[in-house]
Amino acid sequence: MADKADIVVGIPSYNNAKTIGHVVRAVDAGLAKYFPDKKAVIVNSDGGSKDGTSEVIKNAAIDHNALLIQHPLSMAHRITTPYHGTPGKGSAIRTVFQMAVDMGASACAIVDSDLRSITPEWIELLISPVLKEGNDFVAPLYDRHKFDGTITNSIVYPMTRAFYGKRIRQPIGGEFGFSGKLAEFYLKQDVWGTDVARFGIDIWMTTEAIANDFRVCQAFLGAKIHDPKDPGSDLSEMLVQVVSSLFDLTEKHSDKWKEVKGSIDVPTFGFRYHVGLEHVKVNVERMLGIFREGQSNLKGIWLDVIGSGDLGEVLVLGAQSDQDFRFPLKLWTRIIYDYAIAYHKKKLPPQHLIKSLVPLYLGKTASFVMEVEEMDKDGAEAEIEKLCMEFEANKAYLVNSWK
Amino acid sequence: MEGFLNLILEPVNEVYLKFKGFFPNLLAMLTIIIIGVIVAWLVKAVLLKFFKAIKFDSWCDRMGFTALLRKADVWAKPADIFVVAVYWFMIIGFLMVGFSALNIQAIDSLVSEFFLYLPRAFSAVVILLIGYMVAGFLSRAVLIAAVNSGLHYAKLLAEAVRLLLTVLILAMALEQLKVAPSIVVAAFSIIFGGIVIALAISFGVAGIGAARRMIESGGEEKKEERGEVEHV
Repeated sequence: MADKADIVVGIPSYNNAKTIGHVVRAVDAGLAKYFPDKKAVIVNSDGGSKDGTSEVIKNAAIDHNALLIQHPLSMAHRITTPYHGTPGKGSAIRTVFQMAVDMGASACAIVDSDLRSITPEWIELLISPVLKEGNDFVAPLYDRHKFDGTITNSIVYPMTRAFYGKRIRQPIGGEFGFSGKLAEFYLKQDVWGTDVARFGIDIWMTTEAIANDFRVCQAFLGAKIHDPKDPGSDLSEMLVQVVSSLFDLTEKHSDKWKEVKGSIDVPTFGFRYHVGLEHVKVNVERMLGIFREGQSNLKGIWLDVIGSGDLGEVLVLGAQSDQDFRFPLKLWTRIIYDYAIAYHKKKLPPQHLIKSLVPLYLGKTASFVMEVEEMDKDGAEAEIEKLCMEFEANKAYLVNSWK
Repeated sequence: MEGFLNLILEPVNEVYLKFKGFFPNLLAMLTIIIIGVIVAWLVKAVLLKFFKAIKFDSWCDRMGFTALLRKADVWAKPADIFVVAVYWFMIIGFLMVGFSALNIQAIDSLVSEFFLYLPRAFSAVVILLIGYMVAGFLSRAVLIAAVNSGLHYAKLLAEAVRLLLTVLILAMALEQLKVAPSIVVAAFSIIFGGIVIALAISFGVAGIGAARRMIESGGEEKKEERGEVEHV
């Protein structure tokens, strides 16, 4: 029988020796500062790191006196455990769920191990809405550059919001807080042999929490800065992972989302402020180049998926000059819904189907970048809001075509 | 005189006796063929209804078989084509079985050769079908990957992959059918090798500059991507 704990904080890792020390110290300090009377455990669920990640965790120490924090009743325990099953973040998080359930934890949090901007306050913001406000799921809310998170902004957020009626701004954020009850629910789901175990755990956790009527909220964490991703990582693969997870969930919850109309805000915790973010370079010309290559070469596939009417509109778009290139929101909405239908009807192998969306996505992203170039962050956010409203307004089209 | 009559009647009698012995075989052959035609016709009708029920034509549309047929100037529905093929296959099968009922040595050996050849023909058809699907899948994968990498010659690349695979598959099917195997292998080696050498030479000679630019810009793009937009 495992020891009891009130709070479990999970840190999935794989070769993160460079950054995990900072993450562990921030978590440790957060637990000591904000939950000194609670028994807490930090669980590092590791995928077999060979760079000394586990040693870094053991040796990551904080000076509680230097941090001017109240001495906790007991120090947070640290457990490093290898996870079993399919390699991936999902399996790592499953181990955290299991330990949280075994220890009877009331509140849990997951934080990425490559974070550079995490502070002790993140732990308070992810745990308190559960412990003190009775929420079951806390999604992160970050301050991001207006050009960042384009898959989230143009596909995942509008679609999740239109489908399940809750405005969770970062459904695939990477950091989460959740109740012990929700951890138990997650653990019981029969998904651990599927892609959820490898990737797609973030959108799965968010969607399951909303679709199953758990109490959800979000917490503002500030800027998210993490280790640069592998530059060789392929956009197509990324899109396949995110969008196929999203479409799989659409398939699973089709009875629920068909009934939802409109959307509502969810409670948001934390003090909102703007952070000075680094400039993000965007190569619009290259994006439009790939969009036009798609237009010349993928017409056959696009015709099967989006139909001749929308294909005609896409072809007209390609004829515009780079400066005048604007992707209509309504057209983009219909394209995403048509792709969801094609995925549902298995018109093409999933990988091919979603990879054929890449040029259209890059066209949409290029258009967004040019539109909001002169706008401030609020202006860019207003554009995303317009797109979300379009997704909600056109949902009937998807409901009627879903057979 | 009697001897003369015997000379005439003996062959006639012999023919009559042979026909009498042969008649049941002929009757058996005709019966087998008639039953075969009826069975083939019934199977054809049942298959047609079955394919309609499972929407075989729509599936063929999705898998690209219909498009392939149209390219070959065949305008019948895929289900009809498949059912007619099964029908004629059964008719030929019953004809062969019927002929074997005649118990004629030459026909018997022809029939046994036909049935011995069937597994090869079946394997060749399976190779062609699977090959067609694999070629289509890989060619589409190459096309999409090339487009997403921003290559200008994506379609050309995809078609080259399809052509190479088609040549390979045809050679495999012909080899399986044992149609002039030595010529097939030699022709395949020449064509396949020729295509590869032609591609290498054309790219090497005509595309030195392009290759240099690709290698150089590839490095630059990777550097540039570090500072690019974060998609997720």
